[in-house]
Amino acid sequence: MIRASLARLPIALPFLTLATACATPSVLLLDGENGAKTGAVAVIDESDGSDRAVVSEPNTKASIGDGTVRQRPAEPSDRDRALVADLPTAPTSYTLYFLEDSTDLAPGSEAVLSALLAEVAARPGADVQIIGHTDRLGSGDDNDRLSMARAQEIRAALITRGLDPDATRASGRGERDPLVATEDGISEPRNRRVEVVVR
Amino acid sequence: MIPYRLIALIATLALSSPALAEIGRVKRVVGQAWVERSGQKLAPAPGFALSKGDTLATGRDGRLSITFIDNTRFSAGPNSRIALSEFRFDETSHKGQFVTKVDRGSLAVVSGQIAKEDPKAMQVRTPTSLLGVRGTRFVVNVP
Repeated sequence: MIRASLARLPIALPFLTLATACATPSVLLLDGENGAKTGAVAVIDESDGSDRAVVSEPNTKASIGDGTVRQRPAEPSDRDRALVADLPTAPTSYTLYFLEDSTDLAPGSEAVLSALLAEVAARPGADVQIIGHTDRLGSGDDNDRLSMARAQEIRAALITRGLDPDATRASGRGERDPLVATEDGISEPRNRRVEVVVR
Repeated sequence: MIPYRLIALIATLALSSPALAEIGRVKRVVGQAWVERSGQKLAPAPGFALSKGDTLATGRDGRLSITFIDNTRFSAGPNSRIALSEFRFDETSHKGQFVTKVDRGSLAVVSGQIAKEDPKAMQVRTPTSLLGVRGTRFVVNVP
């Protein structure tokens, strides 16, 4: 009996594989964009929140049906490639610098403002995020307020130059995202900046 | 008494008609593509602002491209039905939560700040599984 069913297996298997490939949801992990490090996708066990499986190698396809998660190396199909090609252009970021403890722009900011306005015009359905940053001089709360004030100042300036107020947001990150790491209480002109992200 | 009533009235109005908070914008529309919101079927154009709870739907030749306010990017393929079930993003701390439900079709994703800040914060649900997004680029297919 056992021998008989084993003998039938090679014939049955190709059909099984085909049926599984068509009907089961799958996830294909790709390499990071523009040379960025490949991340990972975990298949989560909902009974306890643990990982049933982790896909961490680029160009790996995992079947994510009810049963066992099966992983195999796979190049993206033509459909997958078309989907990736349809992703919106990655956001572009511009940086403007400020004079110490003020919302006045450092000299040379005009050229950056012009470049970012041109980028907005070139993107269909563009929206803009203006993110203020400070150095580590002063308290964290003061820096949250100062970073927001800087962002709002730039937002107002960009709106007078024609940006849609509804599509232009301001936020402050305080001293959380320094361009250059420093000790607390240090004045650092490179960290006193506003980042303008064009999406 | 009057100020209290006024405050209560304002609070009631705020609760009964919440402003739709923008979570992202449509960047490209090809073929038949809709955004379903509170039972209405809206036709998006580039710049269309999305809200939490919206469902993306595409027909046989439809495709939709979206960039979210945390810089996550989506591309939805034909014959898709994808719900933006949960989206919270604090622009100061970058803490948030982002749950997308892919009922059918295909979705390419490049994750953004929410997944970068907390590897447990972004999830994609398919009919048979729950995926945790640990900062990456991937494609989900639900036949």
